[in-house]
Amino acid sequence: MPSDEGPLDRLVDRLPGTRLFKFLASWILVPYWARRTPVQPLQGGPHPSFEHGDNVQCMMNLIMPLKVKSPIGRAEAALAIAQNKDAIFAGLNNVGTVHFARFVIVGDNICMFSVYDGDFTNYIRDFIATIGSVFNAVVELVEDGEKVTPCEKNVEAFIQWVHERDLYQVPDTATDFLRDQEALNGDRAVSPVKDDLTQLPRKLVLQLRANANVSLGSGYRAYPGFSAAQVRERLGLGW
Amino acid sequence: MVDTSVAKQLVEAIIGNLPAPVPGKRPVHTIGVGVKGEFVASDVARTYCVAEHFNGQTIRLSARFSNGLGGLEQHDGWSDVRGMAVRFHLPDGTGSDLIATTLGEFFVRTVADFFEFAEVAKLEPYRRRHWLLKIADFLRLKVPPRNPYPNETQSVDAGALRYADRHRFSQLGIFQVGLIGAPESYARASYHAVHTFWVTAPDGVRRPVRFSWQPVAGVRNIGPADVSRDKYLFDELRDRLQRWPARFMLMMTIGEEGDALDDCTKPWPATRVRVAMGTLTLTEVPEDQEAAGERISFNPCRLAPGIEASDDPILEARLGAYEASREMRGGCPFKWRKDDANAK
Repeated sequence: MPSDEGPLDRLVDRLPGTRLFKFLASWILVPYWARRTPVQPLQGGPHPSFEHGDNVQCMMNLIMPLKVKSPIGRAEAALAIAQNKDAIFAGLNNVGTVHFARFVIVGDNICMFSVYDGDFTNYIRDFIATIGSVFNAVVELVEDGEKVTPCEKNVEAFIQWVHERDLYQVPDTATDFLRDQEALNGDRAVSPVKDDLTQLPRKLVLQLRANANVSLGSGYRAYPGFSAAQVRERLGLGW
Repeated sequence: MVDTSVAKQLVEAIIGNLPAPVPGKRPVHTIGVGVKGEFVASDVARTYCVAEHFNGQTIRLSARFSNGLGGLEQHDGWSDVRGMAVRFHLPDGTGSDLIATTLGEFFVRTVADFFEFAEVAKLEPYRRRHWLLKIADFLRLKVPPRNPYPNETQSVDAGALRYADRHRFSQLGIFQVGLIGAPESYARASYHAVHTFWVTAPDGVRRPVRFSWQPVAGVRNIGPADVSRDKYLFDELRDRLQRWPARFMLMMTIGEEGDALDDCTKPWPATRVRVAMGTLTLTEVPEDQEAAGERISFNPCRLAPGIEASDDPILEARLGAYEASREMRGGCPFKWRKDDANAK
């Protein structure tokens, strides 16, 4: 069967991959649609759930922009972590529900990535109790950090502050991303509805405009469903 | 159980939407290849399930890999759901089947949903979208519909999208179908049984589970430039197995309270406990494909003691629909139980 593909078809098919289109889309189309159909940023952290599996190995991906955006600011952050290494390790051991935690500097942000068991609020509360002084040292270097330090005296405000900087966790399935947006808008209908699935790319682009840093998917786990306490017990680590 | 008339209607609804039904053949997944192999359960499998093929001995098996499309036209390079049906041949002469596809979630919850889907997602003429309309899509930050595959004149895509726009439960499955692509090899795709089953452990504990096959060779699709390759999957598998066996790991995910046990449109979270139940090794593509793949009648509800079907209405409907389809095409009946005298 002869192809009905003409030169203009070929040209247009290649268009989305061109720098020109990406430039126009980034600077004209995306701002236009963001004004026309504004989206709210989706909240960070794991979804609330009663199920056991959803409450172990939860992710926290904290991105905190430094006040001093230079090598000096980054060095201050690195020093704050290095000076408190013993306090961090002892604190994490005492919290007991953390699988792993690490600090990373990306650009002019100090980031804390961790995997923990249980409720997010309790996790931060435990941290304040065990390594509040470390948090104070780090958060003072971060934009708006002075509003919530010392964290021991601003517990609720500090928890909210951390939550607002915890990345939105894009679901594993594209359609669950739509469900998150619908839930944010109070739309919980299932069927029948009048959706337009072809708008999914635009919705994703606009969410990524509103929420520049996100975590992609729920991540891989080698032993999903097990808490740090269970792993330690089965490995006989004498915890 | 879904009564036989409904089961027949289901099969007829599928046949009625085919471009060219082929009497005596499977209405969908018509093109396929039968393979011989064996399965060895992992050391822990027997602690979760008492079914005989999980007790650790080597179990002979028959597998059939297939393209999802109905009809005799073979378009391996087209984006399509692929099937992997496995029959574990148990030592007492009975069998236990596990039917999986590359689709992670199904797109309807019930038989009524399916009939509505069949009504909406009819074959329609499929043409290249005009370039001006594509530009309009780009300006709206939308992705235009794909170009037709070589020689493709009809498709259910538009109807399926209309159905998905009305029913959110169907969106994940239909969205996945749209992106599924074509595997480089039948041995380089993951296959999911989509339904929930109940397995019984030696201590009597029953657990809701979902099964998936994961290829040891890794998952890999062909690129868009290879979409016109119509026939490569059978030869690739034959050549591959002549050089070296192909392996799959059987992964079993254990559901929790609150997970969708009877709804195959809903995925389970990735945080559920996952157990490696064993390794399947494919060894040979037999010459006699009639016996190795075409005459075998798989059924997702043919299960060894120790595994039970959930109350998923689609799984229940498949029990009857597969039997109705087998009768219509003259497929080989199979012993469901040890005392089943009507079959071999």
